[in-house]
Amino acid sequence: MMEKITFENLQETLYHEKLENGLDVYVLPKRGFSKTYVTFTTKYGSIDSVFVPRGKEEMVRVPDGIAHFLEHKMFEKEEGDVFQKFGENGASANAFTSYTRTSYLFSTTEKLYDNTKVLLDFVQQPYFTEQTVEKEKGIIGQEITMYEDNPDWRLYLGTIQNLYKQHPIHIDILGTYESIDKITADHLYECYETFYHPSNMVFFAIGAVDPEEMIEFVKKDQSAKTFSEPEEVVRDKHEEPSEAGIPAKTINMDVTKPKFSYGMKCDRTNLSGDELLRQELAVSLAMDILFGRSSDFYSKAYAEGWIDESYGYEFNLEKSFGFAVINSDTEHMDELEQLIKTTIQSTAGNWSISDEDLERARKKRIGQLMRSLNSIEYIANQFTHYLFNDMNLFDILPVLEQLDGNDLKEAFGTIADPKSHTVFKITPAGQAK
Amino acid sequence: MFRKTVLQEGVTLYVRNTKQFKTINLSIKFKSDLNVDKNANRAVLANVMQDSNAVYRSQSEFQRALDTLYGTVYYTDVSKRGDVHILSVNTECVNDEYLKEQGVFEEVLNLMRVVLFEPNFENGSFAEDVVQREKRVVKERIRSVYDDKTRYAQKRMLELMRPDQPASISAYGNESAVDQISAESLTNAYNDMLASDEVDIYVVGDINEDELIQKISSLIGLKARTIDRAVEEVSAPDVKEVRNVREKQEMKQGKLQVGYQTPITFTHPDFIKMQVANGVLGGFAHSKLFMNVREKESMAYYVNSAYAAHYGIIYVLAGIDAELEEKAVKLIEEQLEAMRNGEISDLEITQTVALLSNSIRSSFDSAKGQIEVFDQYKQLDEHFNADNLISKWATVTKEDVTKMASNIKMELVYLLSGREATE
Repeated sequence: MMEKITFENLQETLYHEKLENGLDVYVLPKRGFSKTYVTFTTKYGSIDSVFVPRGKEEMVRVPDGIAHFLEHKMFEKEEGDVFQKFGENGASANAFTSYTRTSYLFSTTEKLYDNTKVLLDFVQQPYFTEQTVEKEKGIIGQEITMYEDNPDWRLYLGTIQNLYKQHPIHIDILGTYESIDKITADHLYECYETFYHPSNMVFFAIGAVDPEEMIEFVKKDQSAKTFSEPEEVVRDKHEEPSEAGIPAKTINMDVTKPKFSYGMKCDRTNLSGDELLRQELAVSLAMDILFGRSSDFYSKAYAEGWIDESYGYEFNLEKSFGFAVINSDTEHMDELEQLIKTTIQSTAGNWSISDEDLERARKKRIGQLMRSLNSIEYIANQFTHYLFNDMNLFDILPVLEQLDGNDLKEAFGTIADPKSHTVFKITPAGQAK
Repeated sequence: MFRKTVLQEGVTLYVRNTKQFKTINLSIKFKSDLNVDKNANRAVLANVMQDSNAVYRSQSEFQRALDTLYGTVYYTDVSKRGDVHILSVNTECVNDEYLKEQGVFEEVLNLMRVVLFEPNFENGSFAEDVVQREKRVVKERIRSVYDDKTRYAQKRMLELMRPDQPASISAYGNESAVDQISAESLTNAYNDMLASDEVDIYVVGDINEDELIQKISSLIGLKARTIDRAVEEVSAPDVKEVRNVREKQEMKQGKLQVGYQTPITFTHPDFIKMQVANGVLGGFAHSKLFMNVREKESMAYYVNSAYAAHYGIIYVLAGIDAELEEKAVKLIEEQLEAMRNGEISDLEITQTVALLSNSIRSSFDSAKGQIEVFDQYKQLDEHFNADNLISKWATVTKEDVTKMASNIKMELVYLLSGREATE
């Protein structure tokens, strides 16, 4: 049965139905929007390379980068390229693979149901041959090379690789030239059969869309197709020690100004649902207060010229991994590192966040959420991300309103241990030690 | 789509009342001619205006005030379009309807008045330390293009094709022009901007139009100014033979940029047709470049074409193995040659028109998109809307696209690649 969930403060209504084959279908109509954005996502990302294949009993390990490789290959069919069909129907299609999900999507202002049919069919009808798999290796090889030349990406990835010793998040989503070379059509079918069952997937439509009509359409399409019984996928448990794998590393690249990144690994990630959301928001608020543009840290570092416009910070948290990153281009790596450490230590040791700071940070986050809810792409992608971690995007507002100083203090404690921190640097070519 | 009110000669307000968004967007655009020194001054000015003002004397004080106003976003930026330089002052705040307190938008409007008319002056000019600091920041921004190899290759291509012309001049000026800036020159640039620039003010959100027009005209008291902008003349060099330029840095991928010239510019009657031609060539994932260079030859992860209509330039960019440069250029040229020979299917035209339509309608699904697209196209049609443009694309034929392809002429092949690769 279709359920209707209304979020009055946000003036949004979400429609949901779980189909017989296990597929979760969500629809969120947005007034005034001319386009519809539709995503079809599997809970399967780059970290899922060790698992029990459907119908088997033993764990297997498949080559790194396979989830992303599979995403590329879904677009090629016996009769040609799926982009052609979307183009004909006026839809702009795309896909992405992250650590934990693979998402296929399109946006359109016409022929919504024709395009929805194309999306459902191409994701649910795999077609891999040794020949098409071989051909893709050249394209993905160029994609890997493109990222290798991108210093900001290298900085981010390098930081995560320093932080994590065992958890597969330390492996590049794309894999390596060597690992993708080992991929075969059989691998792709094995991964597909295991992770692309409807019960492991979510369909989300948002924008100019009628909820009853869309849910009915998907239901009809799915009941005309045959699927095996829903089965929980058995994945590898990701163990990870609390200390950072590598405390510091420097590489060199052809850049004009050195790049600096400070990583902090979170030691409380065995959470889900409401607890996970509270933890994520509480750490994020603490980070805003300590490292945001209105912080003492920022004023000092910017005035001294230790950070510039490239400065940024973030906190990511999912089941099994979580980390904060602070980064900037800088000629003053040592001073910046020291100031970050002092800021963390003085906060962790002698909690100094005032109620006024908390209220201001809370208001800022509420505004940020409202702004994000103008973007149908943001809602679709984030909703799915939260759902896969048993959270609800629209619960952010009530949880934000409840957090108090103790929540922040406790949450910040989970990333504050210096032993779980790392530094990653990129120096201009020729300068690295 | 916008309600237009001329506040003063040269100062125009465009308002759009819509319930589509949970926020209200305001953007004030100061437009003037392009030149390196002016651009440099305005780039630094934009930063200084973002930093602080007479009420909030430091960045952190200002930022705290904005955070308290439910994370109101305030930022300035500079850009260029054709031969026009644009300094934009932008803000976005949550509509009161979604908040537990009222009056946020009122305060934000008032803040905009402060930002524009009450600068952080010491003895009649901008504070020296702020100016020096922001000069450094802008210089670093200019320099950082080098670190992004794709952007750098594009910049070099434009410099080689159109040296010292609007197509290649940066909206930030250059490092030596930034060096020349003093607190005094910056103060002059500020006064000059307020007194003589063409000013377009945009507001999009759930607002009462009449009330808002009243409020803005009383808050933003800019005097009348005469705008006399010469229509841009684009002159392309006479190409006897294609130039080949190769440059090297420490990197792995080859960044190929193929530059073409075309007499069809933004104001040309065939502009619409050229947009379709560019789409058929390389604007989308169904386009000839994607299908043949990427999917068929698996030579590249990205390969597409772009149409810089204001400058009469079309360019193709691709990330390739540097050793395959010749083959890639040949393949790219083959796609254009096919178009010149009329090898274009009805399907390709249908797909391209459909995706151009989707992209313009989609950009209207954000307030920023509505402002930017309208601001550009209003030069062609005061009553511009997406449906007008879409109906024009729909009339473009295969013959039109063939004709357009014959109006695209290769000028430059530029390759930025790694040192080890070919030496």
